[in-house]
Amino acid sequence: MRTLKGLVLSGCTDIMGYEALDFYDVDSLLTDEERMIRDAVRDWVDESVIPKIENACREGVFLDEWRQDIGSMGILGAPLKGYGCPGLSYTAYGVICRELERGDSGIRSFASVQGSLAMYPIWDFGSEEQKEKYLPGMATGELIGCFGLTEPDYGSNPGDMVTKATEDGDGFVLNGAKMWITNGTIADLAIVWAKLDGVIRGFIVEKGDPGFSAPEMKGKHSLKASVTSELVFQDCRIPKDRILPGVKGLRGPFSCLNNARFGISWGAIGSAQACYDSAKSYALSRIQFDHPIAAYQLVQNKLAWMLREITKGQLLAYHLGKKKDAGEWIPEHISLAKMNNVDIALEIARVSRDIHGANGILDEYPVMRHMANLESVKTYEGTHDIHNLILGRHITGIQAFTKGA
Amino acid sequence: MVREIRDSMKVAVLIKQVPDTTAKVGITSGSVDEGAISKWSISPYDEYALESALSLQSGSGATVVAITLGPERSSKSLIDAAAVGADELLHVVHDGGLGSLSLQKALSEAVTRVGAEVVLVGKQAADTNSGSTGPGVAKILNYSCVGLVSRIEAGSDGFEATRSTPSGMERVSVKLPCVFAFDKGDVELRRPNVRGIMMAKKKPIEKISLADLGVDNTGEGVSTTSVDYPPEKPEGQRFEGADAAAEVAVKLREEANVI
Repeated sequence: MRTLKGLVLSGCTDIMGYEALDFYDVDSLLTDEERMIRDAVRDWVDESVIPKIENACREGVFLDEWRQDIGSMGILGAPLKGYGCPGLSYTAYGVICRELERGDSGIRSFASVQGSLAMYPIWDFGSEEQKEKYLPGMATGELIGCFGLTEPDYGSNPGDMVTKATEDGDGFVLNGAKMWITNGTIADLAIVWAKLDGVIRGFIVEKGDPGFSAPEMKGKHSLKASVTSELVFQDCRIPKDRILPGVKGLRGPFSCLNNARFGISWGAIGSAQACYDSAKSYALSRIQFDHPIAAYQLVQNKLAWMLREITKGQLLAYHLGKKKDAGEWIPEHISLAKMNNVDIALEIARVSRDIHGANGILDEYPVMRHMANLESVKTYEGTHDIHNLILGRHITGIQAFTKGA
Repeated sequence: MVREIRDSMKVAVLIKQVPDTTAKVGITSGSVDEGAISKWSISPYDEYALESALSLQSGSGATVVAITLGPERSSKSLIDAAAVGADELLHVVHDGGLGSLSLQKALSEAVTRVGAEVVLVGKQAADTNSGSTGPGVAKILNYSCVGLVSRIEAGSDGFEATRSTPSGMERVSVKLPCVFAFDKGDVELRRPNVRGIMMAKKKPIEKISLADLGVDNTGEGVSTTSVDYPPEKPEGQRFEGADAAAEVAVKLREEANVI
């Protein structure tokens, strides 16, 4: 539901909304439906995220109304088909991520984790019963999911995880801890990756399962409007039918991460667009030495650089979307786009803050929030450096993740 | 209580596609440069008319027919209406200018064609601000007409409409057939969801011409002579320091008339 925005009253014609930078008109390559979905999400962000996000960040909360709205828009698990899921293209999923992240990376993170990291593994690796039990409620946002892979001591090398599952009678018993888990505390179910007889397997742990707790991590300077948690398993007992039957080994979590990283490569462009938009309007209205600072060459150089990098990032994301939709992609393609687009978005946020001068540090402007968020985005879902190593291995055929291998 | 007739009642919503309220509007050689407008949307007051129609649809099973008149691009506003729930779509395709009277005749014919006995429309379009479509259609069709409506409810013998007046809110009882011209109400507008958008893609749009409706663009009493930008706002006045407070108060009271 929404209220009318920008109703032009007589004599009041200067209400200008967000105009998304699209220098090469890349969005003209989208389908009509993809553009309608873009507009619906963009309008929602304008009306329901932008006016509330700064306060939510100050208070460190993810508003439940965002969950409800995102659920009722029907955009969760966007590219998944069946079981109440939207069945959209990967390109549409990318567009959704971009528009959500223009509001805040925390909002996009909510949708990414729900769709790519929690719904996707059930959809791809789950049993028929698991799909029917969880996916319809997750698609509407009534059930929230999270994804437990990273551990306190195992981030970039999840293969060495220590969380263990053991068979015990008619169920499994989990022991261990996961860290940096988006949505953890508010989740109704967690996809947990743990070693069963030394092999990584996926398990569905539900809120309320004995021995399971998900305390929230506090004190973040980044993604403040997103819930980040630990998942703790102390002799956590779950029934036998909660194992994901369809996958063994790291392929399981990495398949999920590929989809989430794809969404991030689009989402980061949304953050960059927001920072560019704010920098442009600030530069045009801020007067120094009798002229708008936009009239000075150094500022124009910065704006031109932002436009250049955003345009390249948009083309990268769009083409990757087409490759994903055609099934003609390799994980390295996604690594490149995730790494590049988050990298340029973070730098654009910093340059935008610079253009805003001292005002840039205030939450009156979105730039420092995006900048702080993007520090997390640069690190999660495969750090910037790990993506470089993935590409390095692709180029040379030599892996450089471990020493002495 | 709803009369039985409403189970099959058709509600027509007249929708105009206008430049989005966030789009820049430019004037070249005496008329608005439509090619330069970056975004078109359903006229905001029409959105309230549509929302009320959709409430009637969910409350009493009425069929909502969205009707627009305009060039090919206007079909987008019908698809947008379908995405939030409009049942049937009718596009009177016409490119170029059209006088108010011809427009009202064409829309009246369209309403008759779809068999609607209730017509909902915005009180005025956000671009032209004429405010003549609702009353004009009502006059031609000989329907009752209520303007500045913020809410309607199906009653036992027609509708109860709430409308704003200079002194407050007024409730009126209205018999069918009727036209309601909507003001901004306190209702929340529904947002399209993905399912609606995908369904809208499949919904057929009936396209007809003015000639199909037996209307030509003649006999106008009013024609637009020119359009121009609103006057520039005069520069504001600046005051500094606590000593200026008294002077500011006087100006606010006597010049700005705000206190």
